[in-house]
Amino acid sequence: MVESPHHDHNAHTGDIHEVASVTSSLTTFAVLAMLAILALVVGFSNLGEIKVIISLTVAATQSLVLSLFFMDLRRADPLIWLVASSGVFWVGLMFLFIITDYLTRHIAVL
Amino acid sequence: MNKTIPELDYTPQMVPYPEPTPAEDKNRVHYLNVSDTVWSWLFTLDHKRIGILYLVSVSIFFVFGGIAAALVRTNLLTPTGAILELDQYNKAFTAHGTIMLFLFLIPVIPGVLGNFFVPMMIGAKDMAFPKLNLLSWYVYMAGAMFFVWQLFVGGLDTGWTLYPPYTSQYSHTNVLYAGLGIFITGFSSILTAVNIIATVHKMRCPGMTWSRLPLFVWAMYATSLIQLLGTPVLAVTVLMLATERLFGIGIFDPTLEGDPLLFQHLFWFYSHPAVYIMILPGFGVISEVIPCFSRKNIFGYHAIAWASVGIAVVGFLVWGHHMYIAGQGFYLGMVFSTLTMLVAVPSAIKVFNWVATMYRGSIHFAPPMSFAIAFLFLFTIGGLTGLHLGVLGTDIHLHDTYFVVAHFHFVMVGGMLVAWLAGLHYYWPKMTGRMYNTFWANVAAIVVCVGFFLTFAPQFILGYNGMPRRYPHYPEEFQILNILSTAGASIQAIGFTMPAIYLLGSLVFGRPAGNNPWHATGLEWQVPSPPPPHNFEQIPIVYYPPYEYSIPNGLKHVVIHSLNGNGVHSSDITPKHQEVTSGS
Amino acid sequence: MAANVHDAAPVAHHFNNLQQQHDAIRLGIWLFLVTEVLFFGGAMCAYTAYRIWFPKEFEAGSAALNVGIASVNTFLLLASSLTVTLAVRACYDGQQKLVQFWLGVTIILGSLFLALKAREYYLDFEEGLVPSRKLVSPQQSSMIGEGAALAAPKYAFVQSLERALHHAGYPTEGVDLFRVQLFFMFYYILTGLHVIHMLVGIGLLGWQFFLAKFGFFRYPARYIYIEVLSVYWHFVDMVWIFLLPLLYLAGPHHFGQVISGLQQAFGLSQ
Repeated sequence: MVESPHHDHNAHTGDIHEVASVTSSLTTFAVLAMLAILALVVGFSNLGEIKVIISLTVAATQSLVLSLFFMDLRRADPLIWLVASSGVFWVGLMFLFIITDYLTRHIAVL
Repeated sequence: MNKTIPELDYTPQMVPYPEPTPAEDKNRVHYLNVSDTVWSWLFTLDHKRIGILYLVSVSIFFVFGGIAAALVRTNLLTPTGAILELDQYNKAFTAHGTIMLFLFLIPVIPGVLGNFFVPMMIGAKDMAFPKLNLLSWYVYMAGAMFFVWQLFVGGLDTGWTLYPPYTSQYSHTNVLYAGLGIFITGFSSILTAVNIIATVHKMRCPGMTWSRLPLFVWAMYATSLIQLLGTPVLAVTVLMLATERLFGIGIFDPTLEGDPLLFQHLFWFYSHPAVYIMILPGFGVISEVIPCFSRKNIFGYHAIAWASVGIAVVGFLVWGHHMYIAGQGFYLGMVFSTLTMLVAVPSAIKVFNWVATMYRGSIHFAPPMSFAIAFLFLFTIGGLTGLHLGVLGTDIHLHDTYFVVAHFHFVMVGGMLVAWLAGLHYYWPKMTGRMYNTFWANVAAIVVCVGFFLTFAPQFILGYNGMPRRYPHYPEEFQILNILSTAGASIQAIGFTMPAIYLLGSLVFGRPAGNNPWHATGLEWQVPSPPPPHNFEQIPIVYYPPYEYSIPNGLKHVVIHSLNGNGVHSSDITPKHQEVTSGS
Repeated sequence: MAANVHDAAPVAHHFNNLQQQHDAIRLGIWLFLVTEVLFFGGAMCAYTAYRIWFPKEFEAGSAALNVGIASVNTFLLLASSLTVTLAVRACYDGQQKLVQFWLGVTIILGSLFLALKAREYYLDFEEGLVPSRKLVSPQQSSMIGEGAALAAPKYAFVQSLERALHHAGYPTEGVDLFRVQLFFMFYYILTGLHVIHMLVGIGLLGWQFFLAKFGFFRYPARYIYIEVLSVYWHFVDMVWIFLLPLLYLAGPHHFGQVISGLQQAFGLSQ
């Protein structure tokens, strides 16, 4: 797509890319800070077996907020979405197969 | 409809021999003569020059790997080792494996033909990130030279697979620094992959839709996906291994209740897809060569395109077939076995499609085609024997025998190396502007094929009868087959030396090749040989699919330049398909 | 603002227009981040495999780490993500001085993180929490009584770990303390790799800070480089978000450890 070389740049009309406002960034930071506090609270609690699952869920939520808002994934091309989700998916595949091996066998404890 | 387009004569009997040389414009500027200082080569941002830099370097490393192979095969002439001590033998086969895999097979086609031709095939003026491209060559050279230096000053005796705990606790060789060399070289892979993916997504010329991409580009794209996703895992695994070796305490060490199998999982998570990194570009070359020399459209374009991506994806799910008897969980082994049989399907689809392309085509035994036919024969054998190894039951007997060695040499040498030679012979006239002696090239193809077969076919028998791999000593009864194998290796050596002679000779004695000596389709053949520095004077506009060899009534152009020396304007042409703008 | 746009739009010769160039560069950085995800993912996968096999040992190792420093570092890094995003916004608004300011604050926050991390490593080394095969002789060991003279030599690491866990009030029955070295290998590898990535990030931020002085990052031409580095920086933050629960908060912890950790960090503990 060829951009016309002369266009009006008042108030960033017809811009190449939009960027998050200051308010949006501050809100995102507040959400992330609260999630971080939540992560610490969960960390200091005594939930036993499920604690690790909750911790990782909080961490995943933090990552989602970080990538959607700070890394601007929200406004990005579908191609960027595809790239980001492929990365996550592939790590998931690696974990799935390798962890299956470690869940289904155990060395003899000496 | 198209009376303003000049009709070129593509009558079959004129192919593949070069068309009569037009009056060569001695003052024409192309990418080779546009500047000739060493500085202009070492700091070039031209993807074509970077391709030539890669060509020189991989050829040198190929020679090193070949010398290591010669040492191995010569030693195996006698049952008790003819020329090497035990530890020297370990170092020889490790050197052969690591150099050939990491320094030759992985970078060769992406670095040489990928860099040179992917931008041209999609109608771009350069790669998306030219500086990153140059950096990837420097990183490759730094890692490769460091690695080879480590091989010279003490060597590496662990096998290319670097398994701990031998590697981390017991080996007295330069594991740490050799690992560092491999780590650095991996970055080159990643940078090339990023470049190719971004280029294919963002820099296709108008009309170049995904369905009109040459299959070589599809193959390079799929290869880049694998490089991107797999290489970092090797990097972190080698890093963990190096940490363990450096600090003497570790992660994969069973005396610390670590698990050596964890290394194998992480290592093969990369290294199995790595073999697809090696072969997919070769598939891409074959997809270009066979339609051209059968004068026929490729059979099943979309099947081959999607099979490339399918191999890339499914190839990540089969690594456990290297670890069936290593202690991996039994049920997981069954899963991997099933998936391994599944991953053979896309490769088979491709082979069927190539053969179907040749069927009822007009076959011309130009050197690229001779190599391609050799590829079909040798790769099919290699691929089928891979199934013997992929099936869990038979692998228990064949694992770590010469059957494995024969299998992977059939696919890597008989497959990939032969495909590389096909590509080199196909694109040499375009890259250098010179045509080589096609008779001797055809002879070289036969010599390579015969020598290769003689080297590795006996190894299937050896492996089936139980000769283990990586052993310098073997029972007396295996000697005759080993001698045959070594004899084949020397014939192969002759076969690989011949191209060096006539290809380099063509630079001096070869006649000018002209734009399109093979009368091939594709944007890269529409520009002069060697190509101008910015590839295209005008950005081309594409209207037709890529392998239109079979259009009757003479129109064979698949590209109409918007402004061409022949005076064709895009407004004169009725496009066959809707014009599509560039960008994904 | 129009003048800025027209005279500062260096489109490279092989691109058709600025939009294509920016799209390609943005795609490039995200592709690179995929490799980083796989890189850290591989190490975390190895960590997970052993955590499944040795949960008690990993929890014990986690208890010996300095949660106080880690908590403060988490907020420092989050704040630096905010400031780098504000730098991107400033570039978009064409405010060159503000770009420089926010980049500078990001560098300071990142450097504070690294300073605290260095202090943490120093404390770890001082406490002897480094995996090794070094032994201490029975006389030096903390064992007393008749068994001492016949006791097998103890691993220095085990002794240090016992001391640290005792200090943290963590019960060590049923835990193979020698095996905890596995956890510590992952601790050093994962945080070490993270530190290296932060160093690279701070280096690049510093370079951009220097260029911003000369008004280099005029929108829209060279805005993309600010955005690209901010995306990288956010990724580094994301890695830390996962390292915190995996390394520092595995198993039972209590808030008091934060206080004691910080006291130790600033040399205020007894």
